[in-house]
Amino acid sequence: MSTAQIHDEIIAPDKKKPAPRGVGHKKRFFDEPGFAITSIILAAAIALFIILPLAVVLIRSFGIGGEGLTFDYYRQFFSGYYLTAYWNSTVAALLSTSIVIVLSLTVSMQVSRYRGPLATSYRGLALLPLVAPPFVFSLSLIILFGRNGLVTGWINNTFGTEFSLYGFWGVVVAQVLGYFPVGYMLIENTMRSLNYNLELASKDLGQSQIRTLFRVTFPLSRVGVLKAALVVFVMALADFGNPLIIGGNTSFLASEIYLLVIGQFNLEMAAVGSVFLLVPSLLFFIIQTYGMRSQVTSITGSSGRERVALTGIPKAVIFTVNSVFVASIALLFMMVVLGAFVRIIGVNNAFTLDNFGDAQGQSAIINSVIVSFFAALIAGVIGMLQGFLLVRKPIPGKRAFEFLTMFGLAVPGTAMGIGYLILFSGEPFFWTGTLWLLVVNLAFRKIGVGMQAAISRMHQMDKSMEEASSDLGVGPYMTFFRIIVPLMTPSLIAGFVYAFMTTMVSVSSIIFLVSPGTELGATYILTVAQSGQVGLACAVSVVLIGIVVLCMGLLKVIERKFGVKV
Amino acid sequence: MSKRTTLIGLCSAAALLLVGCAESGTSQQSQGGDTVTLYTTNNVEEMRDLASRAEEATGLNIDYLQLSTEEGWSRIMGEAPNFQADGQWGQFESNAIRAVEEGFLEPYDSPAWEDIPDQFRDPDGYWYGWSYWFNLITYNEDLLEAKGLDIPTSWADLTDEQYRGEIVLPDPGTSGTAFLFVATIMQIMGEEEAWDYFEAFHENVGQYESNGSAPAQLVGNGEYAIGITWDQAVFDRIDQGYPMEAVIPSEGVGYSLDVVWMFKDAANREGMEQLIDYIGSEEGMQNSANQRSMVTDPDVEGLSQVDDIEDYLLDYDAQWAAENQEEIMEQWRTTFGGDS
Repeated sequence: MSTAQIHDEIIAPDKKKPAPRGVGHKKRFFDEPGFAITSIILAAAIALFIILPLAVVLIRSFGIGGEGLTFDYYRQFFSGYYLTAYWNSTVAALLSTSIVIVLSLTVSMQVSRYRGPLATSYRGLALLPLVAPPFVFSLSLIILFGRNGLVTGWINNTFGTEFSLYGFWGVVVAQVLGYFPVGYMLIENTMRSLNYNLELASKDLGQSQIRTLFRVTFPLSRVGVLKAALVVFVMALADFGNPLIIGGNTSFLASEIYLLVIGQFNLEMAAVGSVFLLVPSLLFFIIQTYGMRSQVTSITGSSGRERVALTGIPKAVIFTVNSVFVASIALLFMMVVLGAFVRIIGVNNAFTLDNFGDAQGQSAIINSVIVSFFAALIAGVIGMLQGFLLVRKPIPGKRAFEFLTMFGLAVPGTAMGIGYLILFSGEPFFWTGTLWLLVVNLAFRKIGVGMQAAISRMHQMDKSMEEASSDLGVGPYMTFFRIIVPLMTPSLIAGFVYAFMTTMVSVSSIIFLVSPGTELGATYILTVAQSGQVGLACAVSVVLIGIVVLCMGLLKVIERKFGVKV
Repeated sequence: MSKRTTLIGLCSAAALLLVGCAESGTSQQSQGGDTVTLYTTNNVEEMRDLASRAEEATGLNIDYLQLSTEEGWSRIMGEAPNFQADGQWGQFESNAIRAVEEGFLEPYDSPAWEDIPDQFRDPDGYWYGWSYWFNLITYNEDLLEAKGLDIPTSWADLTDEQYRGEIVLPDPGTSGTAFLFVATIMQIMGEEEAWDYFEAFHENVGQYESNGSAPAQLVGNGEYAIGITWDQAVFDRIDQGYPMEAVIPSEGVGYSLDVVWMFKDAANREGMEQLIDYIGSEEGMQNSANQRSMVTDPDVEGLSQVDDIEDYLLDYDAQWAAENQEEIMEQWRTTFGGDS
């Protein structure tokens, strides 16, 4: 199972086949106390680490736990400034989502229809932003298009203009680049499962390529597109790194929330802002969980094995757009790498390795690796356990259990981080300042990935093997370890890798939780970038990206060596 | 099956290795002496040097988190009374005064600071000033010339229309550097006139930055023509060859002590005391003087590149600033930050 598929599956659980029920007597919850107790513990953990922090945010937004019940903060929110920021965030998120969708369509149309090194390298480049912290593109955009950027400096000198990318449009461009892979993976998956026979039929009936695309191909992909749009929109809405670095004087809600906490410790106002980030996410999550399920079946089914090549003007347009786009990704990545190896790119281009000799940066990266490893491990193992329990065991409140776990994925990191800060910094926990709080925070936001992978894997596995084991007199727990665990290993590893990659570059929630000695690579990059030290920020980014890429390479090796499709 | 078993074995081996790494990481720290955790406002590059020299001299291991002045303050306010750090190395003097009033600090009577003049430390040993710094204006020579702008020579010049959109200022909501600027203007002009000034000045600001050193970097990179920042942020970059210059405004500049303190109930009290002793020692002062224009030990020469700087330093009132800080920042936020 590829990580792309995993990602697809986590986004909206596809149609669910009812779990095959054993014939004979119906099992009850406490028939196997070990599994029952495990379920209760897991449910409690989900409640504590996903639900409670969000509840605390909601409560605090009314002043409860602070100075007492009040609606003042909501009133303040609607009084103008924050509403403008909310508006800016929403419009920017809508724009970047639309652009991501269009580009995802064009790139995936090319990649899914052609083989060969060109298609492969386009795909690789398109996925590249996944391994970098989402705000890294802001850095290279400033290098190129800042007020004195390599490109803008030249343009402005030549034409006497005052152009720069700071502000609203800079944020949109950076978001498009940063969140592209997420939308792309979903849409590519849909494109790959398209039934090309319908396209061929349309062409045979004399329709042009353009008409075929708009009347057949796009309508068939609409569910995938919608899913992708929802995910990208929620991520872009919650983005605060890009606005901080390249937002200029335009205000965005997520970055205002960040500044409210970091600069004023105004938790109440920040909580109100978080509620407004949370509401659209929750709404979209409900829509995609329940609203889109019925439509999904219409596009899957048997797909024509052969690939249908594009023709005519659409082909030319699509190829051009894609080439420009992946070339920009490559260029921007190159800027980060170059920026790491020179004193100050564009100003003093002398080669240097000084940027890498930063002890604080190194320890931050080591922390990142440790934290992400354990977070991914926990997310993978708990996800697998939950998937198994949900599919095979009679657990009361299954739907709610699954829904809430999945919701952890859809929650804007900012809201989650503030919830953790309020909940765990005081009595009775006092957990802030420990690496474990960071591990738990990251892990529980990713459990849904492993769980969804495990659920679909469990559905593929016939129950007869477990029954055989049980008929041979092996107890349920031994059966779990001897039959289920080995069969689940591939999905566990896939979930682990996805979680590791994404937690390595995650910032939005943990930025509120780092403390002296537990700083992470991604947050350190943001700190350094904010003080304008682009070279240092680039160097830490390069190391971080390098580690993530290395891990992916390692995974490929494991995949080849053990024949496990990951 | 055997492949899978090997695979699982491999994964657990990797896990063990990583646990090992994590543990050896911590044990390394304990080998080198105990760990002191700090908040600092010192910028990333100077703190790297200061911390590693302090580690060498004391045998302590120093973990720190860099936060700008007000970020650090809001963090302390949020954490009180369970501070996540043992101490603070580098903070605003007026915040030290506020911290004493709030009861956040642990006094320590350090013998190493006896030679430092009384005015630079708290009489009860709650905090010690190790260096002081001042605001200044910096400009990018190339950019100023290319745009045909005059070199500003005073604070008053900065409201001139020719600089529209060309000035970068740290955000007084997060940065002590910016707050010092705001407080200085108020002490020069008087409150009412100062707000008129800020209104005109705000029109010229192209960007607010959260960090006090960032304007120096942005001006050095040629992103903005003029920046308001602090002394060593500019002089370091001039030495590194950036095309920028410093201007000491003719009205004079405010200055602030940079202080070190220990939090109440610090987990590593001995370590923190050791660090405070070191910072006040001659060696510590020498090392600080490698990074700062002026340190508080009169016998140790800092990097100051300005002759007769004393003539420009205004008699800045930190006590007044501490008392009025909250109110001034609130008004700044409602006037320019947008939330009303």
